Amino acid sequence: MTGVDELLLARAKTGNEAALETLFRQFEAPVYTLARRLTRTPHDAEDLLQETFLEVVRSIGGFRGEGSFAGWIRKVTASKALMRLRKHGSRVREEELSEELADAVAAHRGHGVAPIATTPERLDLEAALARLPHTARAVTWLHDVEGYSHDEIAAMVGKTASFSKSQLARAHARLREMLAPASEETCT
Amino acid sequence: MHLSLEDLLAARDGEATTEAAAHADSCPECTAEIARLRAVQRALAALPEQRPPQDLWPALRIALASRRHHRRWVLAGRTAAGLAAAFTLVIGVRGGLEAWHEAKIARQTRELVAASQRLEHQLRTADSGGRVVSGRIAGTIVQLEDRIAAIDAKLSRPRAERYPSQDVVSLWQERVRLLDALVSVQTTRTTYVGL
Repeated sequence: MTGVDELLLARAKTGNEAALETLFRQFEAPVYTLARRLTRTPHDAEDLLQETFLEVVRSIGGFRGEGSFAGWIRKVTASKALMRLRKHGSRVREEELSEELADAVAAHRGHGVAPIATTPERLDLEAALARLPHTARAVTWLHDVEGYSHDEIAAMVGKTASFSKSQLARAHARLREMLAPASEETCT
Repeated sequence: MHLSLEDLLAARDGEATTEAAAHADSCPECTAEIARLRAVQRALAALPEQRPPQDLWPALRIALASRRHHRRWVLAGRTAAGLAAAFTLVIGVRGGLEAWHEAKIARQTRELVAASQRLEHQLRTADSGGRVVSGRIAGTIVQLEDRIAAIDAKLSRPRAERYPSQDVVSLWQERVRLLDALVSVQTTRTTYVGL
């Protein structure tokens, strides 16, 4: 995400519609991209983009320029996404339960684990990421790309740092399976 | 015995225990695995940006305008009228089970729109007229209004106006629930609305 012109920000703070639209146009793609990583469906990501921008407009007066505006918007997006995650936690949990056992085994056995028999052909990273369980994908993105610590993620999702670490490990175990060339030998 | 994936990730992030770091230093396979995890991390960060499949600004602009204009809920009436017209048209040209299902959805929607309008009327009657409310109550009101505005934005999307669906009914149900909560906050001045 890029920096934001001070004048544009000042105009947006007064509620100027043209300025708000410019801000939206500048941030819709990065926020939507982040939303896609942190939500289950494209439809959820659209909702999150809208919710984020409504929140941005409501709170923009409180933005004092400490840190970048882009960083602030990312934080708003992440926070709203994790709120949704907490809200829908039980439903997500149910859907992911069947995958959890295999992931846990893989994570605990480290990189010596053999690929699970049902592993499909090699996927590209984008497709593999999309196939991760929702919570594991969100944790991985927040930690590995957005730079959140496990403690920060734990606080945001109302869980422990251990939960965040194990979700990250599960995600990487699955990514490894999905990205590994079919001929790759596992070390012992 | 190699490091577990959690230990490898901790080593990648510079947070490994002394023992794990010592093992990683002396094990070429674990060192290679840590390098691979770093490469995956870099590749994730380098994935291309995506754009929303449809332009969301028009709906957002309406939501923002509706919020600015003293939360008068003008959109609800317009959307309701559009939905009612669309449903009538659709039911007129189809028959059988499909039409029955759509008629059911249309009826549910009409009832919810009517409930929505009753609650909006209550809100107008109970409007604080600029009276001072506490910060917590104001925060709750703004939160509820934001969520209603977000629903209005969804209801104003072309597909929501054109096609009757269970999703549209769910949106109206949520809208009625939030309006009901807002009426409670306005009339009892309580911040707890069970959301």
